[in-house]
Amino acid sequence: MTAALTRPVRPRRRHLRAALLVLPAVIPVAFVVIGGVGTTLLQSLGLMPLVGSAELSTAAFNDSDELLTSALLSLSIAVVSTAIAAVIGFFTAVLIISGNWGGRIVGALGAAAVTVPHLVGAATVGLLLSDSGVLARLFGVAPDAWPALVAGPTWFAVIAEYAWKESAFIALIIVGTLATRITSYDETAAVLGAHRFARLRLVLFPLAAPSLLVASAIAFAYTLGSYEVAWMLGQTYPEPLSVMALRLFNSASLTARPEAAAIGVITVVLTAVVVAAAMLGLRRMRAWR
Amino acid sequence: MPLRNLFRRPTATTVRRRILPVLATAAVTALALTACSAPTNAPRGPEFFDWSDVQVAADGQTVKLWMWGGDDQGNAYVDDVLAPAAAAQGVTLERVPIADTKDALNRVFTELQAGRNTDGAVDLVWINGDNFRTGKQADAWFCEWTDLLPNMTAVSATDPLLTEDFGTSVDGCEAPWHKAQFSFVYNSANVENPPTTIEGILDWAEANPGRFTYPAAPDFTGSAFLRSVLYSESGGYENVPSTFSDEAFDELSPALFDRLEALAPSLWREGSTYPTTSEQLTKLFADGEIDMMMTYGPATLTALVENGTLPDTTRVLTVEDGTLGNASFFGIPSNSGNIAGAMVVANEALSVTQQVAKADPAVWGQFTVLDLDALSAADRELFDALPQSPVVPSFDVLSRNANPELSAEWVPALDDAWRTRIAAGQ
Repeated sequence: MTAALTRPVRPRRRHLRAALLVLPAVIPVAFVVIGGVGTTLLQSLGLMPLVGSAELSTAAFNDSDELLTSALLSLSIAVVSTAIAAVIGFFTAVLIISGNWGGRIVGALGAAAVTVPHLVGAATVGLLLSDSGVLARLFGVAPDAWPALVAGPTWFAVIAEYAWKESAFIALIIVGTLATRITSYDETAAVLGAHRFARLRLVLFPLAAPSLLVASAIAFAYTLGSYEVAWMLGQTYPEPLSVMALRLFNSASLTARPEAAAIGVITVVLTAVVVAAAMLGLRRMRAWR
Repeated sequence: MPLRNLFRRPTATTVRRRILPVLATAAVTALALTACSAPTNAPRGPEFFDWSDVQVAADGQTVKLWMWGGDDQGNAYVDDVLAPAAAAQGVTLERVPIADTKDALNRVFTELQAGRNTDGAVDLVWINGDNFRTGKQADAWFCEWTDLLPNMTAVSATDPLLTEDFGTSVDGCEAPWHKAQFSFVYNSANVENPPTTIEGILDWAEANPGRFTYPAAPDFTGSAFLRSVLYSESGGYENVPSTFSDEAFDELSPALFDRLEALAPSLWREGSTYPTTSEQLTKLFADGEIDMMMTYGPATLTALVENGTLPDTTRVLTVEDGTLGNASFFGIPSNSGNIAGAMVVANEALSVTQQVAKADPAVWGQFTVLDLDALSAADRELFDALPQSPVVPSFDVLSRNANPELSAEWVPALDDAWRTRIAAGQ
């Protein structure tokens, strides 16, 4: 009787204990996410004005032309830099896993790159690539003959900075998941006669794919939301969403704050859609199942 | 039957229970948010009867001064000269460097929105212009405190630069700190016959394509450049009403933007992009990419030339039709917990000793707000004995025909119009 009674209780207790254990992590995260996004949403709808009375309005979302241009620009920068970072990151990871001393140096460089803050990275890239930057001086090119890499129409410097930093991040994530299990699979495949390219295509890539996808999704979300690199290295017009949001948030006119919040909401929605798509893709992957 | 059997539930509830903590958190968060949403009454701060009252309250307080951190000399002055003087009066002065004064303002707004009314993180802000006005609109300043400062007696009560801040009445909500004069700077090695008017500068820029640009509004310096050209295109500051109105804007701004539109192809990078900040503009000048730039802080030029950042041939242009002048101030947010300490710091900063030290080009070179005629002969001597800068003319030369600043409402209007008309090219 006792045994029969305790058995169904146990999973319930385990659930309770699990819930209690994650609670310290869930509460602050929920507080920040629900609180932050909630406040942003309220502000964007005119319900939390600094001056005047609260009134429900979607006026902050009205300037659709400018918002669309900025959203497309933000998406393009994020997609291109994430794609470059994913490719470089994957091959860097393969190199690091190979275990020879070249791989070790690349691994150390990658780990070092991850610790550099984006703001410092942006300043560095700016000093390196600008009209009278280190590279231009090194090659002895006059400032007006140097291509407009910084603050130019191609957003080259911005994309380069994101691609550099995020490729190191993606590489380290992949190395972390592959390091423990790759050797046996890789050697088995080699023993069975698989050549390098076949092993890369049929063993390494499928095993790395889930973490590659997750790391790329994180990099994409970060790139879409961060402002400092685009602000420092970008063109005056058009602006990415994040730069525009910051400018409006800091605007001297108090009425611009709902517009800044509206851009925040749009950025959150865009990011959520892309991350959700990535998670759906993850579930379909064989290595994940 | 033992009691716990009653708790047996179908499995579906277990699933629901797993999200229970999440829902609970959401409820708590929502509750916390409603509790602290938009306060209708901003805090007014403490009341003091006289200066000794303030001194007693200030003793032992730590004042966090939020100020733009992009000026090394200014940072060094606050840390090495002002802070020790404040410490002698029992107030610890901590400098909080910020990238933009608006960061401090936004911090105060966010705190007020969240109901943090008595112990805000910002005790003192270096501020003026539209930031001051925005804060005043939102009731974010502690007011009517400057009359209590003993050192305010040496400040003229009628100086329009100090009674109005970009057209916003000061009303004792901020204490003056120093004066500034908008200045155009050129490299005398490359500009042989420097222009002497704003219009002349624009003509020079068109005659020398790619050698001139200005920071993108809403950068403070870029925005001041727009107002300078507005004055020039309107035929002088007398023709631009200081108070903002849509009619005046619609009447006067087209000439400004037509001129800037015509100028754009002659600018650095053909006007396809603009420096984001005045630091980027200074870098272009330092790298020799442009031959002329502008600054609202000519005080810093002497040191920049001395340390080799800028060429030896850097000179400040004397503009015949005059340039914009303004004063900058100390503001105390109404939610500061160290208001008395902040008042002691603001008072100390107005002392003759501090104003003289700050005016020395080797220290910071900021122009004084004190009324020199009202000082004793000995004190005036201290100012007269200051070394002259080889780069920057003295304040009376620089501020000749000074143009008053427009009211703060003009600033965002011009900035926004510049973005749509010039930056976006519409």
